[in-house]
Amino acid sequence: TRANSGRARSITPAVTMTAKTSLLKVILLGDGGVGKSSLMNRYVTNKFDTHLFHTIGVEFLNKELEVDAHQVTLQIWDTAGQERFRSLRTPFYRGSDCCLLTFSVDDNQSFLNLGNWKKEFIYYADVKEPEKFPFVVLGNKLDVTERQVTSEEAQQWCQENGGHPYYETSAKDATNVAVAFEEAVRRVLASDERTDHLIPTDTVKLHRKPRSATTCCS
Amino acid sequence: SRRLNMHTQSTCSFFFLYDGSKVRGEGDPTREGICYFYPEETPLDRQELLCGQLAGVGRCVSELSVSPVRVLRLRRDKFAIRMKDDLFWALGTSVEVPTVSVCALLDQLINLFRFYNGSVRRSYQIHSRETLAARWAQYLSHLQSGSSELHHIFSCLRTIDSTNVDPLLLLKAALILQACQRCPLVLAGCVLFRGRVVSTQMSPELTMKAMVHESETYVKVGTTPITSHATPLKDTPPRKTRLSRTLSDVPSTESDPPDPGSPQPPQNLSFGPVPSQGAAESLSCPDQSPSSNGEHGAEGEESRYFSFQTAIEEDVHQSGDRGDTACAEASQSQDRKVSGESGGGGPPPGSSSGAEEAPLVPMTLYLHRVKSLVLVLLVEQHFLSDSASMEEVYHSSLASLNGLEAHLRTVSPAAPGAPGPYSFAHFDCVQSTLTANVSAAPGGAPERPFVRAVALLHSHFSDSASLQEAIIRSAGAAVYGTRSVAQETFFQQHGGSLRNSGIPNQQDSCFSLPSKARHRLLKHGVNLL
Repeated sequence: TRANSGRARSITPAVTMTAKTSLLKVILLGDGGVGKSSLMNRYVTNKFDTHLFHTIGVEFLNKELEVDAHQVTLQIWDTAGQERFRSLRTPFYRGSDCCLLTFSVDDNQSFLNLGNWKKEFIYYADVKEPEKFPFVVLGNKLDVTERQVTSEEAQQWCQENGGHPYYETSAKDATNVAVAFEEAVRRVLASDERTDHLIPTDTVKLHRKPRSATTCCS
Repeated sequence: SRRLNMHTQSTCSFFFLYDGSKVRGEGDPTREGICYFYPEETPLDRQELLCGQLAGVGRCVSELSVSPVRVLRLRRDKFAIRMKDDLFWALGTSVEVPTVSVCALLDQLINLFRFYNGSVRRSYQIHSRETLAARWAQYLSHLQSGSSELHHIFSCLRTIDSTNVDPLLLLKAALILQACQRCPLVLAGCVLFRGRVVSTQMSPELTMKAMVHESETYVKVGTTPITSHATPLKDTPPRKTRLSRTLSDVPSTESDPPDPGSPQPPQNLSFGPVPSQGAAESLSCPDQSPSSNGEHGAEGEESRYFSFQTAIEEDVHQSGDRGDTACAEASQSQDRKVSGESGGGGPPPGSSSGAEEAPLVPMTLYLHRVKSLVLVLLVEQHFLSDSASMEEVYHSSLASLNGLEAHLRTVSPAAPGAPGPYSFAHFDCVQSTLTANVSAAPGGAPERPFVRAVALLHSHFSDSASLQEAIIRSAGAAVYGTRSVAQETFFQQHGGSLRNSGIPNQQDSCFSLPSKARHRLLKHGVNLL
């Protein structure tokens, strides 16, 4: 089947304890050059490439993992950070389950831009309740010696902007990368459980989406 | 032979390969010489009639004129003819198809066969007629599939409609190919979407050949029905084509002098395989190869990995005749590979028996599919047995291919819309690509006159090398054509009353066509200044 990879998760019955893996879409946003592609590559393929091109538009990789006894397929979307690629990347924000706001600890401007990235995401992803949406903040390039952003500053920003979890990572030497992505998964699962808990009590599902209706995405 | 006129939508109404050496004696039935005949359902007696008559006429005229027959023209049909020793090919179309296009189609077909199978004669010594019939049918169908009449006229490459695609995405595709070339075993490649070229590093001729298998799988998936119009490539002698047009440091397997230890052209391609991420559609590839299957399956997360290998020959260097021994080698290597053994490389270079035969160059074609997007790479043969290289290429391209597929999928096809104030078609002879604002789909009524005018002008341009500009007109329309070594451009202004005075005078509106064309086409990136 060539099901659209968009939101397979929403099709999976939420309460039933099926062995089915759910697909979680997480998206990496942040200034150009902070290491979004490197984080994705490090996490999925455990490789680090110093000669990556600028990302054009969007790219993604899937990774299967188990978090707290949940089988999930994590679909990690990597985006182009440069302003000129904005129109190419923003259409792909929709359907994200978690947003990883990324900056580089050796680039203060990339830290200052976090707020803009968050706004851009909320706007284009059409997030209904931004205060409940799971964001995770990543300070990458922990391996460099000359930091421009301190841990404290970053922590403080996270606190003031909705209590987002904060991780300092290094895609180059693999520090904290897996931990950060797993945290993203936990956030999504946690927020899902909250909503799953609420929905069945006061809504009635009138129809189920037929699974095999779309044979082709063209 | 008045009954030849089978007006199917297909460009090609008849195609056959006839081997005169099988019909020597008076008593030998003609059918012994018929290696392949299309349409295959044609009654045998009619096949014999056509083959016997055309081959006889061809030989007779050739002997009388001491020059090979290239075209036989009847009242309603024309046949492109190729003869090589006792082998005789004919491809018939309606007379409306430009002669140059018919000949190009036949040359492409023969070259395609030789590319994957080596020498034709040797192929028929090794394989059954049924086996080879399937291949002729496949190549013929590929060359005629899925594009417009204009594509057929120019024998050009099928490309995506780039007017509708963000140029950054074309850059993205080019960068994917460049990234793959960081692996030294990767020679060159192309990226295809829905059977059309997004980006290629190869010559148009080679790209077209590499597309055969992709278009087949794509058609199998059922997204594009095979329609009728042929899209043969410009048939140029493949001898000196450059393999890479974007990178200067890529060794061209076609044009470079052979390395000391490396064999020469006719090349042996083997087919690789398709890991596909997120794309659940499974390629129906014939031979699952256990050898290369495992490696990626294990590491490829949830991606699936399909693989098959088959050996095919390329006959790029020879303009047409040799390669008999090449073919023998081909079949050896095919057997070996299908049985799953992948070490060692291809047939030993220089083992060919015929002294004048160039030995085969083993090559592999690697295909990686993400839904409708396919990365095709021409790689050294031992690429498939080099798991580190395969992983490198796989990982360096996977995320980008996923992303590019997502981008291209969301590009909406250009709205057909109302016919604009003008029609144009621009053929780039170097890249073998076509830009036009007419769909010219089969049966596309409003554009018929324009397409026919283009065919006519193109014929004239190819007939007379010194002709650079021409205007042809009917009572109601005028079409302007201009060409240089690099391009041919055609333009028709719609609307307005055509002031046709019968004899040319200054008021005649057709004389403003050249300047209108120059002006209007600038915004399509066509510079006629």
